[in-house]
Amino acid sequence: MEQRLANCVQLTVNEKQFIENALLSELRVDGRGPLEYRKLSIKFGKDDGSAEVQLGETRVMSFVSAQLVQPYKDRPNEGTLSIFTEFSPMADPSFEPGRPGESAVELGRIIDRGLRESRAIDTESLCILSAKLVWAIRIDIHILDNAGNLVDAANIAALASLLTFRRPECSLGGEDGQQVVVHPPEVREPLPLILHHLPVAVTFGFFSNENLVVLDPTYHEEAVMTGRMTATLNANGDVCAIQKPGEQGIFQHIIMHCLKLAHVKAGDITAKIKDAVEKHNNERALQKIKRRSSSVSVDVCGTTARLGGKQNQSGGGKDNSHLDQLKPKDEANFMECDATSSGQVQINKKDEGSKNFTGGPSSWYGKKDPYSECVNSDLLKAPMDSEC
Amino acid sequence: MEYVSPEGLRLDGRRPMEMRQIRAEIGSVSKADGSAIFEMGNTKVIAAVYGPREVQNRSQQISDRALVRCEYSMANFSTGDRMRKPKGDRRSTEISLVIRQTMEACILTHLMPRSQIDIYVQVLQADGGTRSACINAATLALADAGIPMRDLVTSCSAGYLNSTPLLDLNYVEDSAGGPDVTVGILPKLDKVTLLQMDSKLPIDILENVMQLATEGCKAIANYIREILLENTKQLEYRRGS
Amino acid sequence: MESKLSGSATNLVDQLVYPGDVVLDLSSMTNQTIKLGGGLRQDSDVISVMKAGRLRFSKPNKYWVESSQKRYVPHAEDSVLGIVVDSRSDNFLVDIKGPAIAFLPVLAFEGGTRRNIPKFEVGALLYVRVVKANPGMNPELSCTDASGKAGEFGALKEGYMFECSTGLSRMLLSSPTCPVLDTLGKKLSFEIAVGLNGRVWVNASSPSTTIIVANALINSEPLSGVQQKIMAEKLLQRVQ
Repeated sequence: MEQRLANCVQLTVNEKQFIENALLSELRVDGRGPLEYRKLSIKFGKDDGSAEVQLGETRVMSFVSAQLVQPYKDRPNEGTLSIFTEFSPMADPSFEPGRPGESAVELGRIIDRGLRESRAIDTESLCILSAKLVWAIRIDIHILDNAGNLVDAANIAALASLLTFRRPECSLGGEDGQQVVVHPPEVREPLPLILHHLPVAVTFGFFSNENLVVLDPTYHEEAVMTGRMTATLNANGDVCAIQKPGEQGIFQHIIMHCLKLAHVKAGDITAKIKDAVEKHNNERALQKIKRRSSSVSVDVCGTTARLGGKQNQSGGGKDNSHLDQLKPKDEANFMECDATSSGQVQINKKDEGSKNFTGGPSSWYGKKDPYSECVNSDLLKAPMDSEC
Repeated sequence: MEYVSPEGLRLDGRRPMEMRQIRAEIGSVSKADGSAIFEMGNTKVIAAVYGPREVQNRSQQISDRALVRCEYSMANFSTGDRMRKPKGDRRSTEISLVIRQTMEACILTHLMPRSQIDIYVQVLQADGGTRSACINAATLALADAGIPMRDLVTSCSAGYLNSTPLLDLNYVEDSAGGPDVTVGILPKLDKVTLLQMDSKLPIDILENVMQLATEGCKAIANYIREILLENTKQLEYRRGS
Repeated sequence: MESKLSGSATNLVDQLVYPGDVVLDLSSMTNQTIKLGGGLRQDSDVISVMKAGRLRFSKPNKYWVESSQKRYVPHAEDSVLGIVVDSRSDNFLVDIKGPAIAFLPVLAFEGGTRRNIPKFEVGALLYVRVVKANPGMNPELSCTDASGKAGEFGALKEGYMFECSTGLSRMLLSSPTCPVLDTLGKKLSFEIAVGLNGRVWVNASSPSTTIIVANALINSEPLSGVQQKIMAEKLLQRVQ
């Protein structure tokens, strides 16, 4: 009993009163107006189809993957789309590990309905062999930090990752034309998904005082508010899904007013997503030139040679001279040094990687890497130089 | 496919604005504190309410209001193909949540602190609009159990097919893939508590469809009121006063 | 070697120390008593560090590690802000962000008797003093100062409470008054209660003032004194 009391996050009576009182004078605790959105930033991972969205302090990661499966019997010509949500206890102490809870299921369903029922993804283009093989698209949504309004953040993350996802190209071959050949990304450029429109979720919070409506509620506001409505719209003003699951009743004209507001916001957010995706695609195109050359060297030479190839490509003259220095040493020592230096080369590589790409939608892998952040590679070099 | 014929008739012969036959029965589960059966055409739902009673799991007790729980399930024989669905799949978890929060909106939970109200709804026959039928059945069962309520919540769905707004979709119309709007209202307060929709619909058409569903809710509310009145009269008659 | 180590101890004062660092060698110090505060422990005959932070020394013989964290470790005589989570017949259960729920005896009020037990609803915010904090038992609180007077202790009405790190609350309580409070206080009038457990309560006549003050305080955490002053002044200019 006492443990339970200690574990749940408490909101004081003072905070509850203050949040409502401040709203009466059109103020919110974080300094926003009632109908203002928090700062939205979208980052993309190194792999195609991974995105991380930060909405204020809420952070959600989404990852899209595809697999060839047999289609459903009633829809032989359509690919499938499934959404999985993971509410880890890391993000919020009230999330329990194990089976997805009610809120996780609801979040998944809202995003699912918005994307699937409005036919945002062209599922027919995902069919390879009717009734035999289609692509199954799977979206995994992970909540990394919960600071309120998970639905909107998760929805934006899902859209961003869908927009940057690339599936390998497939073609039919063989004598009967039934053999499926999946072309690896090096051979044929992977294909993006076809998205007809972007359904953007916009969440409103309602309070016991009927005239108060807020957009994009924070964690504290979520604890105070008595009603919630998520409207999923695209930029054309089509409503794709609405979820107002019970709770406090509101007048119909307020709902219509909210929908109109949501339309405007959906336009803004769509523009932001498209902007970020375009930036990422440009970045990716630049990156690809490099990737091509390295992948060629993989095919031609062994793993050790790849090391050399990478070094040449990254222009790490220092590292090369380093290796040259090591060469005259006897065999055993060489092996040992080689092992360490290859580790070092990798570190350098990562370091450079993060330096190169910090400007745009840089990779969070690189940023999170503890070596590139905390340990200066020069520090590592120094003792080795002295050793040799 | 043509869902509305040129004569303005739907597949089952109804007019676009026509609701299916509704029927309700109170007190169908003798063990429960309150129970009801609600039928909308071929959709048939049974609801049972237990409570307010002592909270079973002490750690869930809420100090200033009652705990409301809801469990929605579909009988295996309720649909045409007899599918054994695992209990607690995503759809039923979501509907349970939606029904619970809708009922919480009308129950005066603060009058019964530290207690628990359980609502069990089961779909016996599914022919579209199960969500609405469940809410209507739950309202009747709650009223039968004598639980203090703000208003009677009623729910109805509406859709938009062949450029015509249609009231109270049946299974065939529902699976056509068109927009499906489920509305739950507090009829006396004239407020919307539940609103769900999917598929794609421009805002102004949505307003019309929503309006139609709201009208449907009000009609159901009148019917439920009649049923409750009838039931009360019967009780009075049996007591012999 | 020994003289070197004890020499290094004095060097380490006001320096950053990390868990496992040896601060003092006891074998080199004879006939000397030292007092250890938070973040230090005795490991056979050396004193080593448990928490990352800055080592502090106060004459004549007190050593402790100052660090900023989100959780609070209760210490006797700290003033903290607590939230009532439940009430029992003889205690209020109060959350003070510590590892255990704290008890506030119903009689621990000025002139408290069985007859005039105050009523607090769940979620009420209290300014209280930690009386007992022993490991292995729940900390005990009191709503009176050492002499039994109510002082400023008791329930806080209205206003807004936000959570911060213990480092920030220590900064807000430091004397002379920290620059951000000083600057804000010259232009705005507000009430503030700072708990050492990383909770701050702010109240002003208008909600906008409260929000400005609260956000200024939250933002001032990573800033130096001068930066705080500049930030607060900019903020005030924008408001006016």
